[in-house]
Amino acid sequence: MSISICSSCRAAFRQAIRSRPHSSIRSYSQPTDIAALLSKPTWSVRSLLPDPSSVSTDEITPKQLHHLLRLSALPLPKSPEEEAEMLKTLHSQLHFVKDIQKVDTEGVEPLQSIRDETEEGVKAATIGLAEMARALKKEDITGRSRRPRRRRDEVLNREPYEDWDVMGTASEKVETPGGSFFVVRSGKENEKLP
Amino acid sequence: MVTKRYHVASVAPTTQTPTDQSVTTTTTQHATIPFRKQLKDEARKRKADTASRRRKEDNPKLNRWELTVGIEIHAQLNTARKLFSGAASTINDEPNTHVAHFDLAMPGSQPIFRKATLLPAIRAALALNCKIQRRSKFDRKHYFHWDQPAGYQITQYYEPFAKEGHITLYAHDGIAEEDGEQITIGIKQIQMEQDTAKTLSQPGDIHLLDYNRVGLPLIEIITLPQIHHPATAAALVRKVQVILNAVDACVLGMESGGLRADVNVSVRRRDGDVGDHEYGGVKGLGQRTEIKNLSSFKSVKDAIVAERDRQIDVLESGGLIEGETRGWTIGSTETRRLRGKEGEVDYRYMPDPDLGAVIIGDDLIDYLSQNLGVLPEQEVQALVGEFGLTFKDAASVVSLNDGGRYEYLRSVIDDFLLLSPDDDLKRVGKLCGNWVLHEMGGLTHPGADEDNPLGMANDGNCIIPHNQLAKLVYLLDIRKITGKSAKRILSELFVSGLAGNQRSTEDLVDEAGLWFSPLSNAEYEGLARSVIDLKVVEEILAGKEGKINFLVGKMMRKDGDGRVDPQKATAILRQIIDEFRKL
Repeated sequence: MSISICSSCRAAFRQAIRSRPHSSIRSYSQPTDIAALLSKPTWSVRSLLPDPSSVSTDEITPKQLHHLLRLSALPLPKSPEEEAEMLKTLHSQLHFVKDIQKVDTEGVEPLQSIRDETEEGVKAATIGLAEMARALKKEDITGRSRRPRRRRDEVLNREPYEDWDVMGTASEKVETPGGSFFVVRSGKENEKLP
Repeated sequence: MVTKRYHVASVAPTTQTPTDQSVTTTTTQHATIPFRKQLKDEARKRKADTASRRRKEDNPKLNRWELTVGIEIHAQLNTARKLFSGAASTINDEPNTHVAHFDLAMPGSQPIFRKATLLPAIRAALALNCKIQRRSKFDRKHYFHWDQPAGYQITQYYEPFAKEGHITLYAHDGIAEEDGEQITIGIKQIQMEQDTAKTLSQPGDIHLLDYNRVGLPLIEIITLPQIHHPATAAALVRKVQVILNAVDACVLGMESGGLRADVNVSVRRRDGDVGDHEYGGVKGLGQRTEIKNLSSFKSVKDAIVAERDRQIDVLESGGLIEGETRGWTIGSTETRRLRGKEGEVDYRYMPDPDLGAVIIGDDLIDYLSQNLGVLPEQEVQALVGEFGLTFKDAASVVSLNDGGRYEYLRSVIDDFLLLSPDDDLKRVGKLCGNWVLHEMGGLTHPGADEDNPLGMANDGNCIIPHNQLAKLVYLLDIRKITGKSAKRILSELFVSGLAGNQRSTEDLVDEAGLWFSPLSNAEYEGLARSVIDLKVVEEILAGKEGKINFLVGKMMRKDGDGRVDPQKATAILRQIIDEFRKL
């Protein structure tokens, strides 16, 4: 079984091995004793954790922390201890992320999602005239100016999309002569509905 | 380069005394102009002169400062279903009846791109001369709001589906005079994105939400900051709406909330330092502010004027413009701050991993671009170039009834030409145009639909069949009926059409007994003698030939039925006046 690794991954892997302080792959001439090889770990994920005794450099200020929490609609820390704990957790997470960022990704397009990017895959995903035939049938060409006009008389089937208890997801709702609405309050708690 | 536009010159006024009627020589078709008209023309020109003088004086600031505007238009696409879910797209249906799982961000629901959206989207981009990108992607724009259950909007931030377009605006589109005969504004990109839910705010900080609208497909059209006058900005938004409607991409206008505009406004000194901001490759701009959610063409213009003046005032008094978001309410005089820089939202744009790239085939792009239909601008040029309408009238015709009025007019012209082959196209066009646009445009009835009393459909059929209207105009043209009678018959056609009982023009003329019988010579003579005024005759004999028109006018008014032919009347009058000469 041969696994081909791209050159940049191969380089990264080599670099990772070389930078390991506990690397034990030194000589290639001796016959490999598999059991011995596997008895000692060559790398530990602990290396990705920051030294607990190290002073955390101020990469995240409390102001930034609060900004991030607001962006994520998370509650702000209630005490200085909670804030310190949050900052410590964030610091160790960033230490890990920085290690990942050491990989050289020059010229590599970021992966957006795992899709079939082969020629056949792209061809299958291409939306061309054939794929739009059904939609094109649902319109008329009108007048001297030959304008397209989508027919509006089509009765769309509700299922499977719309046939479920939408209002059941509302924490508060109201029935009006015009229909049912979700209720959202942006003010004080005890306002009554008009 | 700005080309100077020449106004159609009104008659050059000369000082007049009320009893004096001079012959003006600058008009082409008539030897004299009725005095009443001459006075009116003078008054109009005087008004126009003061208006343009006021424009320049009122705002000397504009000589020092240059305005720059960029516009972002959001328009709802005309599709049967939503962008990423199969719920139906509706306008005014019962609230919360067209909501799919994904629209409410129910855990486990996934977006599924509905490719039918590409039809109106690509057409819109082609009509705005954009390059369609073979490959485009969707991104998440994160912010929290009750009208967006997912906590992010799916848009196309990094790779939109259309780029590098342009739109050309002409004088007849209502651009600012300073922009000359035409101006082309670049379009940076067009992207597809989701709409948000509809909020009905109630007193007491309570909001009622209708999620029918969330997830509907929108396109956002971003222009380059190349607009320098408020009127041009409003004209651009209007023209974009007309174009999008013509290609069936977006059929709801600003009035119904289907099209919204945000404008970015900045000013910079005309002389001296250029600003150090840039956008879309346009450099040297001042700091801009954004005015959001303008909902009418007039507000676009008014808000830009107000914001321009506010910025100039701030800068001239030594202050700085902050990059903030501002709002405008109809009837205000100044924009108001909505959100400052510190409230600037960090959207954390990120490619949406749930969605694959949109890959558009070349065959689809080719097909759609060849079958876009004739655009309104081409229709205007045809009406003016071939059929003799003014640009103003042509622009009106193509904007009415979703293209139906234009189709109707063309049908009327065709029918007229069947009745009068080899007639001059421009003469016929102008004649029919006047009836279809102005005379028919004035028809109303309590029983008729308020917005569309003629019941004009976009295929060019209405309650008055086009061949009957053509017949009416033809009968008038060959003088078998008088102008006054024609208007009466038009009314009859309208009323009977409303009742669903379409009559033929000839039948109606028969019934009303309105066939024109010309006046006999004896009748002319009798009428002429009855209006003879000795004083006027003296003046005519003294050489003031123009006065004869006064008498002709009296004859026509006296007859009241429109049966007097001015030329014949003039001839008869001359005969009679010559008799006086002999005395």
